[in-house]
Amino acid sequence: MRRPDAKVVLLGGASVGKTSLLRRYTERRFPDSVSTVGGAFYLKPWRALHLSIWDTAGREQFHGLGSMYCRGAAAVILTYDVTHLQSLVELEDRFLGLTDSANKDCLFVIVGNKVDLTEEAGEGDAHGLGQAGGARACPRVPKQVLREDAVALYKKILRYKMLDEKDAPAAEHMCFETSAKTGHNVDLLFEAVFDMVVPMVLQQKAEEPVETVDLTGHKPPKQARPRCCS
Amino acid sequence: MAGHTADMMSIKAFTLVSAVERELLMNDQERVNIECVECCGRNLYVGTSDCFIYHFLLEEKVLPSGTVAFTATKQLHRHLGFKKPVSELRAASALDRLLVLCDSCISLVSMHSLEPVPSGARIKGASTFALNENPVGGDPFCVEVCILSIKRRTIQVFLVYEDRVQIVKEVSTPEQPLAVAVDGHFLCLALSTQYIILNYNTGFSQDLFPYCSEEKRPIVKRIGRQEFLLAGPGGLGMFATVAGISQRAPVHWSENVIGAAVCFPYVIALDNEFITVHSMLDQQQKQTLPFKEGHILQDFEGRVIVATSKGVYILVPLPLEKQIQDLLASHRVEEALVLAKGARRNIPREKFQVMYRRILQQAGFIQFAQLQFLEAKELFRSGHLDVRELISLHPFLLPTSSSFTRCHPPLHEYADLNQLTQGDQEKMAKCKRFLMSYLNEVRSTEVANGYKEDIDTALLKLYAEADHDSLLDLLVTENFCLLTDSAAWLEKHRKYFALGLLYHYNKQDAAAVQLWVNIVNGDIQDSTRSDLYEYVVDFLTYCSDQQLVWTYADWVLQKSEEVGVQVFTKRSVDEQQQNSFNPDNVITCLKKYPRALVKYLEHLVVDRSMQKEEYHTQLAMLYLEELLQQRVATSSSDAATTEMQTKLRHLLQKSDLYRVHFLIERIQGAGLPVERAILHGKLGEHEQALRILVHELGDTAAAEDYCLWSSEGQDAPCRQRLFHTLLTMYLQAGPLAPELTVAAVDLLNRHTSEFDATQVLQLLPGSWSVQLLRPFLTGAVRGSIHTRRTAQVALGLARSENLLHAYDKMRLKGSAIQLSDRNLCQLCQHPFSEPVFIRYPNGGLVHTHCAASRHSSPTPGTRT
Ligand SMILES: Nc1nc2c(ncn2[C@@H]2O[C@H](COP(=O)(O)OP(=O)(O)OP(=O)(O)O)[C@@H](O)[C@H]2O)c(=O)[nH]1
Ligand SMILES: [Mg+2]
Repeated sequence: MRRPDAKVVLLGGASVGKTSLLRRYTERRFPDSVSTVGGAFYLKPWRALHLSIWDTAGREQFHGLGSMYCRGAAAVILTYDVTHLQSLVELEDRFLGLTDSANKDCLFVIVGNKVDLTEEAGEGDAHGLGQAGGARACPRVPKQVLREDAVALYKKILRYKMLDEKDAPAAEHMCFETSAKTGHNVDLLFEAVFDMVVPMVLQQKAEEPVETVDLTGHKPPKQARPRCCS
Repeated sequence: MAGHTADMMSIKAFTLVSAVERELLMNDQERVNIECVECCGRNLYVGTSDCFIYHFLLEEKVLPSGTVAFTATKQLHRHLGFKKPVSELRAASALDRLLVLCDSCISLVSMHSLEPVPSGARIKGASTFALNENPVGGDPFCVEVCILSIKRRTIQVFLVYEDRVQIVKEVSTPEQPLAVAVDGHFLCLALSTQYIILNYNTGFSQDLFPYCSEEKRPIVKRIGRQEFLLAGPGGLGMFATVAGISQRAPVHWSENVIGAAVCFPYVIALDNEFITVHSMLDQQQKQTLPFKEGHILQDFEGRVIVATSKGVYILVPLPLEKQIQDLLASHRVEEALVLAKGARRNIPREKFQVMYRRILQQAGFIQFAQLQFLEAKELFRSGHLDVRELISLHPFLLPTSSSFTRCHPPLHEYADLNQLTQGDQEKMAKCKRFLMSYLNEVRSTEVANGYKEDIDTALLKLYAEADHDSLLDLLVTENFCLLTDSAAWLEKHRKYFALGLLYHYNKQDAAAVQLWVNIVNGDIQDSTRSDLYEYVVDFLTYCSDQQLVWTYADWVLQKSEEVGVQVFTKRSVDEQQQNSFNPDNVITCLKKYPRALVKYLEHLVVDRSMQKEEYHTQLAMLYLEELLQQRVATSSSDAATTEMQTKLRHLLQKSDLYRVHFLIERIQGAGLPVERAILHGKLGEHEQALRILVHELGDTAAAEDYCLWSSEGQDAPCRQRLFHTLLTMYLQAGPLAPELTVAAVDLLNRHTSEFDATQVLQLLPGSWSVQLLRPFLTGAVRGSIHTRRTAQVALGLARSENLLHAYDKMRLKGSAIQLSDRNLCQLCQHPFSEPVFIRYPNGGLVHTHCAASRHSSPTPGTRT
């Protein structure tokens, strides 16, 4: 089994749709899902790298595990439910703290899921085609969380991480609205995240001192710096 | 056997067998309980609540039924001399010591005699301890032991030697530690509210996750290099590395798990009622064994032991291969592959590869049977399947001569496709379509090496049966279809055209053509090609077997003279010259087929420009006859007549080879004045020719035309003569024929340059106005001036050239040449003895005789 080169973690409250998003992306479908127990991960080959995507459990019971899952993460996808304001609030109150163990340069992405449920959806959303008629049966609800709220949260996170807004990726690139049900923006989300992660990993690899001899690799180690025993 | 309930994910990975019967241990002392066990090789140690250690030797037996049984024979038992239970036992086989924790004190006893070491070495104040199975120090004569001290919040690391112990480290922890496992410098600790990883060397600690020790006993278990298994919230079995990260998804146990062990690739957990088995590869629960009142579960170098307080049992793993086969048997491909892949590091490389490939192949057939062709193909490919396994599923596809026999044990349970699809025709067709595309894909890859015949023959059969277009492609490109087998099959499926291709590919052209001819004749039915006749003609055209061409020459000509003649006309020119296809042979053959003959002669005369009088004359005659016939038939001249006439005229004009007199005779009185004129022209009787055109036909344009073409390629005077003749003819007619006068004016004005103006002016009647002839006159004057000027330019150029030559000559003559002894003849290298010499333009001097002999007989080796 190959060690993944980088980790992407999905965080967010129970039932916001983390598992559904991941399954939509990996299996191209929207199956019924049960609340995640503990966590699960999926290995994704992406441009010569192997990324692991961790689906965490949002239930309070498993909250303590989050910090370990986030350890060494290259990106954290903070997920909320656009029809539940509380789910956004929780991201800040409960989940942000868990990301302290992530990489220093960890990316933060904020995702509002279930846009198909809101009143805005349906118009001009071609992704809804081909879905079961059940979607229509769902009563539409007003969107409780606006994109601006997510953007505001993103900026708050930057402050929390003590990052300058100018140095971090712009909020409009880091806030998504998705629907695991229709597939709206799901590929876009994951692939955008992967594409941002790849250069970080490559840079890291280039920087980190070569500790082991890689018999399978054919590149000679980067200019071994002569160093005293440390 | 009771019917077992097939849980979707379940698998039989272990069987539970008894190892030590309670009678052997307790002698019916009800109060005594088993407190701990240790197993090291065949040695099994049991510690009891009444402070005894028992030593057993385990014997493993495989019963004829294939099941495993253990018998334990008691070797020794010894009382440790305390009133407390023996709470932990660990063997350090390299030291031949057993570490015994009893009454908070770890003492060392011999593994064989169970006697304490004479030195009395011990570690006091330990609540529990762990051996480091991956110690950092390389000393083989000691083991590293980590104890949780009964002192609050302290951990100590000791090195334990044969008869002494040495403390190497003491570390304090933020909370009371409750359980520990060690790997290298890393301690994995359960504190009272959380799990942490602690590097005892650096003191650096890393939080893992919180849990509540009051609700639940913690579990900390090293499962391999730098990785631990921990009991997490909600009954989770969490994996964590020494770096504090999780590399595997957690397994989901019940809430009240009390022990966990690992036996790759499974995690085994024990609760009050069950032993559960989860796979580390897919985190799924694989097996549940009811087991009441168990309180110990531990693995010892791959052997998993469970114990109640009264008895010891062993969980015997089923061989991985058996498990994989069971999975495959229940069509759980995905899991089987995961398990097989997971086993890679536990099985030698070569053995693994053979096993794994076989599993891939089996899995492929399972997918195939479920019509999951994409998946199947990938599995077949990666499993390096001998494609004949697949072919042999389809009855009759393998050639009778094939040496193939199916692999044993079989890769699948199906006799043939019929059985696999249970006779469902639609499914069968799908399978065949898959096989077609698969064979087509692999036939040119290395997969096909060694049995290309089998593959191609099978493919041919499939194509033929399915009426697939690719059948023909297969046969016209390089292939290895076996002749007899394929021929019989094609015949059976009435693919006669394809059969012909097969014969052709096997160099049996005669058979091929015969077959095709039969199809065209309607003797056999095959509608593959509607243009089969043309195909045969084409085939014969390019066929190098001359005999074959002659055999079918009559047949193709009878079908269509125009098309059939192509077998002669379209052959390569080389071939047409050398052998039986020389023109005389062909013409003889074509005697019966006039239209074909015309085509053939046209080919000779026009395309190949053969300069043979016979051909030209014969072609002209044939044209003429055809023309005359058409005349008779239609009486008036219509389009067809004109076409034939054009051809005839063209030939008569262009060719100089035919026998003119012969034709003139034939043409007399046939009402073909233009043609007659041409013929007279050919005889040089231009006046007569022109008269026919002007007077008989009254076609002045034709007459003008005649002057042009019949003087083509001749010199200017000849052309002038013709034009003058025509002009004279026009003028002679006089005022009686005013249209000819007009023609004369036009002729002069239009072809000014073809006339000698002085001659013309003498011929013209004086009454003609200058205005009338203005274009002619201006042209003539212009021409004459132009000629004069050109002549002047030429003269000037010639003069200057002459001057240049004169200059050269002067220069050459001008300088004197001194001849002395030092001048040598360039040819013989001797000095000149006489004043006579020859000088070459480049300045070289030679003897006259040398120059003479050089020009007459050049000596070899002469340079310059
Ligand atoms: N309409 C709609 N429903 C969704 C969408 N995504 C998820 N759901 C539903 O929301 C419920 C919860 O989805 P999950 O994917 O299990 O949520 P989760 O975040 O993984 O939850 P935990 O595992 O408990 O943390 C399920 O019933 C899903 O069917 C969505 O985009 N649109
Ligand atoms: Mg989930």
